[in-house]
Amino acid sequence: MAGVYYYDGTFAGLLTLLAPLLPQAILPDAISIDPLPQQGLFAEVMVVETDQQVVEQLWAELEQRLTPSCLKLIRRAFLAGQPERELLICRYLLLAWQVGKKISGLLAHPHVAPLWKLSQQVGREAHRYRGFVRFQEVQGGFYYAAIAPDHWILPLIAHHFAARFRDQQWVIHDTRHGQGIVYDRLRQEWLILPMATHAEPDLTQAEVIFQELWRNYFQTLAIVERKNLRLQQGKVPLKVRPWLVEFT
Amino acid sequence: MAVATPLMDKLKILADGAKYDVSCSSSGSFRRNRDGIGNASSCGICHSWTSDGRCVSLLKVLMTNSCIYDCAYCVNRRTNDVRRVMLTPAEVAELTIGFYRRNYIEGLFLSTGVVRSPDYTMELLIEAVRTLRQEYRFNGYVHLKLVPGADPLLVQEAGLIADRVSVNLELPTREGLALLAPDKSRDAVVAPMQQVNKLIVVNRAERQVSRKVPRFAPAGQSTQLIVGATNESDRQIVTLSEQLYQRLDLKRVYYSAFIPVVADTRLPDRPTSPLRREHRLYQADWLLRYYGFSAHELLDDEMPNLESDLDPKTGWALRHLELFPVEVNRVDYETLLRIPGIGVRSAQRIIWARRQGHLTIDDLAKLGVVMKRARYFVTARGRYAGECALESAGLRSRLVSGPAKKGAKQLELPLAQPLASDEATGLISGEL
Repeated sequence: MAGVYYYDGTFAGLLTLLAPLLPQAILPDAISIDPLPQQGLFAEVMVVETDQQVVEQLWAELEQRLTPSCLKLIRRAFLAGQPERELLICRYLLLAWQVGKKISGLLAHPHVAPLWKLSQQVGREAHRYRGFVRFQEVQGGFYYAAIAPDHWILPLIAHHFAARFRDQQWVIHDTRHGQGIVYDRLRQEWLILPMATHAEPDLTQAEVIFQELWRNYFQTLAIVERKNLRLQQGKVPLKVRPWLVEFT
Repeated sequence: MAVATPLMDKLKILADGAKYDVSCSSSGSFRRNRDGIGNASSCGICHSWTSDGRCVSLLKVLMTNSCIYDCAYCVNRRTNDVRRVMLTPAEVAELTIGFYRRNYIEGLFLSTGVVRSPDYTMELLIEAVRTLRQEYRFNGYVHLKLVPGADPLLVQEAGLIADRVSVNLELPTREGLALLAPDKSRDAVVAPMQQVNKLIVVNRAERQVSRKVPRFAPAGQSTQLIVGATNESDRQIVTLSEQLYQRLDLKRVYYSAFIPVVADTRLPDRPTSPLRREHRLYQADWLLRYYGFSAHELLDDEMPNLESDLDPKTGWALRHLELFPVEVNRVDYETLLRIPGIGVRSAQRIIWARRQGHLTIDDLAKLGVVMKRARYFVTARGRYAGECALESAGLRSRLVSGPAKKGAKQLELPLAQPLASDEATGLISGEL
């Protein structure tokens, strides 16, 4: 039955929530993570507990009903920092239950286009942050970077940084979502862990010099006659600048 | 927290000398990280953007700004009164690694002035990259400039340790080169390009036989043309680019609107040539490489220069109204690409989406088509959505200014001044 559904915020939790709804073609009124008591006055409220067995069953069924690119679309859209993401995924899957694999071609369908757009936004931000991460060498021999992306992109960028900086110890801290990737050089493994904001990192002497070198280099590189701040701001939005060495 | 070091001074001077080289791409190569640092990502990654809106992807720096040549357009020309400094190969490697470890850059773009002889200079560049690759086990992207006149063996060595190599043609015509760069001959510039092209072709064939053969310049070669320093037309430039793409299989031709960095009587006395022209040339360049256009379709004797108020594809469509409107549900990919407002991505999406059913005009916008331009040139399910007929005399002006916005207009405050002129905002120097 329709109503307001609550789950624990994990992808598995969402799948558990959706599993009974999809065969019955039920669209919830809302899907939310934090139960807000005042919203439950008139609507039916359901709190769903994640059930690993249900998840595995549903995932197997999804793999049969959808193409791999559709599954990727859903997983990616789930990382979005947008409150409607769960309902969009639900609408999309309800449509998939009707039309099957054909859904991959229905790019302009009203239940597909918004999800697809959301997934693109996540993918684009993840790509941008491959460039916007700035490591600082901290006392104790590791490199620390803080970022504050709109979407939960850590799972999308971890592999890239692990492949590239495999011989250095590093941490990428997503201060907005309170999580971080920790890379272990010796075991060549990374983990995503909850992470609180630390005090100011204690920089090494070399770090101070390299930051200054980079700032000077960056300033020199601009061609004054071609100044175009509007274009620059489109590419480097103000919200990412506090974390970029060259803008601080 | 000012840290003044001799290295900082050198970096500033040498970055200042290198910044007019517009090549910025870090794409097209693929290098895995084996037990070292860095890899080359095939999509290319921009790390920052300077206040002129150009992306920073590579550490773009000169080995030295001393030069034995006296090219009028160049800031490093022999007769220019500037401080001359030089980095050692070890310093270049140290800077690159220091920046790379902090994820400031995607790799190194190493160029140089010519000291002593082309061979000697080329060896210096190769030494720097070899230090990076062998001592630091660096697998990131390296773009190396070839010094015109360097020994073919050195060129071959450069291609084996770099991802991309390039020689700058600089001036589109032979006459221009003779006038502004009397020490360089066109042949000295074109010869290494031809050699690199041959080596790439041979290398590709060898790798077909055995994958163990090391890659030669996996990201290919590129070049740069300075636009507006001499009197050539857009037609000459675009035709030259087409030949470079077809005959020498270049990956990119970059265009740089001429900025007079040095006063010289040989240079035409004119204001900085408009950035708009540079932008239109890049658009035409994209049409050549990704849209199946040829130079003679875009420009001919009657129209030697690109229109500045219309993009080249829209301009072409307006001259060929007999071909439009086309039905998006029926025409092939090549025809879709020729419709103004439809790009590579949206054309692919149309092809993909129309398998599941006929598309409507509303669907097109959702697929990323720019309806502002496309609406006049397409029908969907037989419906035409342009606000005026294709033959109407007002079509051109509508495309130039865009259709009138619906709804209330925002009042313009008398004090509000736009940050940058419209002319400049359209500029791109990015990678695809």
